[in-house]
Amino acid sequence: MSRIVLDLVERLGMTPVGGIVELPAAAADLPIVSAWCAHSGNELVSTAGGLAVVRRGRVDEGPAVRDVATEHRPGSRLWLYTNFDCNLACDYCCSRSSPKAPRRALGLDRITRLVTEGAAAGVREVFLTGGEPFLLPDIDAVVQACTDRLPTTLLTNGMLWRGRRLQLLRAMPRDRLALQISLDSATATQHDRHRGDGSWQRAMTGIRLALDEGFRVRVAATVTAYDSAETTALHDLLDGLGITRDDQLIRPVAHRGFADDGVDLTVETLLPEITVTADGVYWHPVAADHPDQLVTTELFPFAHALDEVIRRFTTYRHAADTAASRFPCA
Amino acid sequence: MNQPLLVGAVAYTPNVVPIWEGIRDYFAGGPAEMDFVLFSNYGRQVDALLAGHVDIAWNTNLAWVRTVMQTDGACRALAMRDTDATFATVFVTRTGAGLRSLDDLKGRRLALGSRDSAQAAVLPVHYLRQAGIADDVELLRIDSDLGKHGDTGRSELDAIRAVLDDRADAAALGITTWEAIGRDELMPGALQEFWRSPQYSHCNFTTLPSVPAERTDPWVAQLMAMSWDDPHHRRILELEGLRRWVPPRLEGYESLFDAVRDQQVSARW
Ligand code: SF4
Repeated sequence: MSRIVLDLVERLGMTPVGGIVELPAAAADLPIVSAWCAHSGNELVSTAGGLAVVRRGRVDEGPAVRDVATEHRPGSRLWLYTNFDCNLACDYCCSRSSPKAPRRALGLDRITRLVTEGAAAGVREVFLTGGEPFLLPDIDAVVQACTDRLPTTLLTNGMLWRGRRLQLLRAMPRDRLALQISLDSATATQHDRHRGDGSWQRAMTGIRLALDEGFRVRVAATVTAYDSAETTALHDLLDGLGITRDDQLIRPVAHRGFADDGVDLTVETLLPEITVTADGVYWHPVAADHPDQLVTTELFPFAHALDEVIRRFTTYRHAADTAASRFPCA
Repeated sequence: MNQPLLVGAVAYTPNVVPIWEGIRDYFAGGPAEMDFVLFSNYGRQVDALLAGHVDIAWNTNLAWVRTVMQTDGACRALAMRDTDATFATVFVTRTGAGLRSLDDLKGRRLALGSRDSAQAAVLPVHYLRQAGIADDVELLRIDSDLGKHGDTGRSELDAIRAVLDDRADAAALGITTWEAIGRDELMPGALQEFWRSPQYSHCNFTTLPSVPAERTDPWVAQLMAMSWDDPHHRRILELEGLRRWVPPRLEGYESLFDAVRDQQVSARW
C-alpha cells in the first residue's frame, strides 16, 4: 500500500510556498502523486529517476510578476515597430534596419487599435521605434494616436528634420511625448565608427533642435565596452544640454541583428517588454526580427498576446528560479 | 494615532510568515494597522494574551476554551474563517475492515493524534463517551505535534500510518487532514470514512476586555472586507485556508467545553 500521499502532505506542510520536496516514488506511485498535486494545488515538477519532485503551491503568475518593479512588469510597456526601414545602416542595429531594408509598416489603423487595446489591458507607456519613424509620411498621426491614449516615447536618430519632416515634428504634442535620440559618445569618433561618418554631428544638431522646439529629449547611448572616462564625458555633455540624468540612458550592444558581438539575450533571461511589428508579437524590442522571440503572429486581440507573454514569463521564472535580467532599450 | 494592534499566531509551518506578512500588509495604511508576533506553541500565546503582550490571539478552539476558562468568560471572539464554522472530525478505517458506526469500535483500537488536538484527540474521546463506549475502546495516542493543538496535521498522518500498519483499527482526524490526503479517492482501497461528527467551531481571533472595541471594530470591519475576488487578497486567503472571514459561531464550541470539563483537561498546560 502506497504511503506517498501521507508523506507528501507531511513534507509539503513543512515547506515554504515555492519550496521543493523530493520523494522517492515507484512507477505505480506516479499517477497518485500527479492526482494529489492536482487536488491539492501543488505543482508536480518532474518524475524522472524514481523521484517525484513537487513544488509547494501552484504555478501562479502572481509572485513571479509581482517580483518585478511596477514600471518593468510584463505588459506595462508596449513597443511598436512602425516601419523597419532606416536612413542609417548602423553596424550593430538589432532590427537589421538600413536604407535597403524593405518597409514593413504597422500602419496607423493597427497602431491605433493596439494602443487602445493595450491601454485597456494595463499598458502604461508606448514606445515607437523604426528603423527610423520619420521616414513615414503619417508619423504625426501615428504619434497623435498614441499620445491621445498613453504617454509615448518616439525613438529617432534625429537626422531628418528638414522641410516637411521638420513640419511633422513641429506639429507633434509636447505633452505626453518624449523623443529618444541615439548618441553613443561625447565626441564623433566612437559614434561615427558604428553609425557612419558625420552621423554624430547630425545627431547633435537634432538633439539641439528638439530641445529648442520644447520637446522632452532622452538620449540613449549604445556602447561596445564600458569606458568610465567616456561615460563621464558623455554625461557632462548631456548635462550641459540640460538633459536630466533620468533621460540619459547608457546600455551595451545586444548580440542581435547585425551585431557580431554583445550581450546575449534569450527569452528565459530577458524580462519581456511586449513588442509588436508588422509580422507579429515579440518578447522584447531587441529581438523583434528574430523567430526565437516570436510570441504569436496574431496581433489581435492584444490581450491574448499579453496573456501568452505573462504565461511564458511565469513558466520561465519557475523553471529557472533565476532573476531575469533587464535589457534597457529606453 | 493608535499603536498597531499586535496579533499573536503560532508558527506551525514556515508559511505562517508569508500569511501574516500578507495580512499585515493588507492592513497597512488603513484605519486599523496591525503587526504580528509568532509563538512556538499555544500555551505561550495564551499566556502572552493574558499578560497583555499581544492584543489579539489567533487561537485554536482549545486555546479559545482555555482562554475563556482563564478569564471567566470575559474574553471576546472577533472573527473566524468560514472553514472554522463548519469543522468536523472523521473516523476512518481500512477499507473492508467492517466498521460502520462508532459502536463497531468496541473491542478495537483507535489511533488518536496529539492529546492537545481538539479534532484528533479531545473531541474523539468525547464522542466515544457520548456513545457510551469509551471504556471499550483501546486508545493509541500519537503525540507527534504536542503544543500546536494538532495544527501541523502530523499526528493525524501518523495515526493513519498506524491504521495502514495494522497497529490500529481506526483513526480520528480533522476534516482538513482528510481533505488534504484526498479523502478515500487518492489511495483507492486504502481507507474509508465510517463516522463523521456534528460540525463544530475551530479557530478564532480572541481578545480581552482590556482591548477596547474602538480599536478592534475597525480591524474586524477591514478583515471582513478581504475579498476572494481580489487576487492579492485571494493569495492570503488560499494560504490560510478560507474563502471569507465570518463572525464567530460561538455555539460551535459547546461540545469542546463539555469535553474539556468531562476529561478534566487543565486550563493551563
Ligand atoms: S540602430 Fe537605429 S538608426 Fe541605426 S540602423 Fe538601426 S534603426 Fe536605424
